[in-house]
Amino acid sequence: MPIVLEKLSHHYKSGPNTAVALEDIDLTIKDGELLALIGHTGSGKSTLAQHLNGLLEPTSGRVLLNGEDINQKGANRRALRFQIGLVFQYPEHQLFEETVYKDIAFGPKNMGLSEEEIDARVRGAMARVGLEFDEMKDRSPFELSGGQMRRVALAGVLAMQPKVLVLDEPTAGLDPRARDYLLQDVKQLNKEGTTVVLISHAMDEVARLATRVAVLEKGKLVMEGPTDEVFIQQERLAKMGLDVPEAFKLALRLQEEGLNLGHHYRLRNIADGLAKAIKGGGAN
Amino acid sequence: MRDITLGQYYPVDSPVHRLDPRTKIILIFLYIIAVFLVPNLLMYIPVAAYLMLAAWLAKLPFSMLLRSLKPMRILLIITFVLNLFFASGTQKLLQIGGFVLWQEGLLTALTFSLRLILLVTGSSILTLTTAPVTLTDGLERLASPLKVIKFPAHEMAMMMTIALRFIPTLIEEADKIMKAQTARGADFETGNLMARARAMIPLLVPLFISAFRRAGDLAMAMEARCYRGGEGRTRLHKLAYTKRDVLAFLSILLLYAIILLPRML
Repeated sequence: MPIVLEKLSHHYKSGPNTAVALEDIDLTIKDGELLALIGHTGSGKSTLAQHLNGLLEPTSGRVLLNGEDINQKGANRRALRFQIGLVFQYPEHQLFEETVYKDIAFGPKNMGLSEEEIDARVRGAMARVGLEFDEMKDRSPFELSGGQMRRVALAGVLAMQPKVLVLDEPTAGLDPRARDYLLQDVKQLNKEGTTVVLISHAMDEVARLATRVAVLEKGKLVMEGPTDEVFIQQERLAKMGLDVPEAFKLALRLQEEGLNLGHHYRLRNIADGLAKAIKGGGAN
Repeated sequence: MRDITLGQYYPVDSPVHRLDPRTKIILIFLYIIAVFLVPNLLMYIPVAAYLMLAAWLAKLPFSMLLRSLKPMRILLIITFVLNLFFASGTQKLLQIGGFVLWQEGLLTALTFSLRLILLVTGSSILTLTTAPVTLTDGLERLASPLKVIKFPAHEMAMMMTIALRFIPTLIEEADKIMKAQTARGADFETGNLMARARAMIPLLVPLFISAFRRAGDLAMAMEARCYRGGEGRTRLHKLAYTKRDVLAFLSILLLYAIILLPRML
């Protein structure tokens, strides 16, 4: 079920003036892809994310899911939210229940599932994010560490088993280990068929995970394409105040020195290419 | 949620905006007394004129003043209607069946409604032209003589400033949490009163937790910058009366003279 944004615009009203948050966005989120949405702070990434499950209504334009306008009259937006899971920034700030179990069960309960099904889903979601069920289920979410709280919050969305998962800065404020762990989960989910939209400004993680990248600037979609093709335009990105992953920087720098390693901007590929070049040079 | 505007400051530069906050607080106080001292309906004209003059000097659009009356509209209507029909007097104006409309009734209804309107718009000029922080600054200075009787003027002002500062933050936070819970299928809009009250729990618990967290962080940040109450604290913006303030005080004296002199004569 692809999500299609058609000429999507969103204006915020603040007093007498309106601020343009999004303008004429045309974007398709394909089934099973891992799309990264990058852009400077205030570029409209989060606003765009909130349009994907109908939390915000576009000022003009449409959001189509399976060809149906999700904002049309009579559309069941609540059912839609169970299919398109949205994990907000700092999702651990939304935990509210007495126990980890109850908090994760909140979504499935709202879906009106049976007790057994809810139990199965909570167990599944906890296993997915690496929370030991028996050890964690009765603990208060407020006595956990930041990384664990983040995982509980993520499990709360995953327990709804959404087909599309939208993550808004999921690794912000996490230590490197917790970050790697979380990204691993996201990658695995995507492999198993969940479409993922990842909002981030950590370019290294985008390069590592995303199959496609869309760049927003001042509410406009300015670049879009396969990850390598976007990051190769280092200068254009720099003009927008966006960084390029370290591996890309290294590859582009090597290219300047006359060492072209092709378009494989993963650190491992660069290392291989370098090793090969050095060996070749030795033979000369 | 986003329509709540408590600190409704209207940020333009005008002579009224530049008045010392203490002057404005005292002026409003005197103005309120003046509204109650008005002896007859005719004398509301100078009071209203004074109000309009202030609004004009403050460069406030008329619509801003009207908007301040909006939350009062039901109270205004009730005041008017009750006074109209439940007063009795000597001069009949109109009689429909058992209903008698007395001239006195009409006059009290008009008086009370006018009073309300003048009070509300008058005090809204204060909040429209004074930034919340400046306002609490003024209040602190005005209340500081009370420190002699151990009244915590500085602490009160600091608490008000912090509370005002965090209203928009909390509104934003509430909005965000509400959206996040909606994304998990929470339903804030339908159901009976009990169901709706229960639906607020997923909103209120995180909101309180974050408010406490913020309060803790703020206390820590203030201590890190050596805050230890008002004693010996100097200010960045010193309040000082100017010629403008003297003129403002003279203007309110003039208003009193206009209202009260006919009665004296």
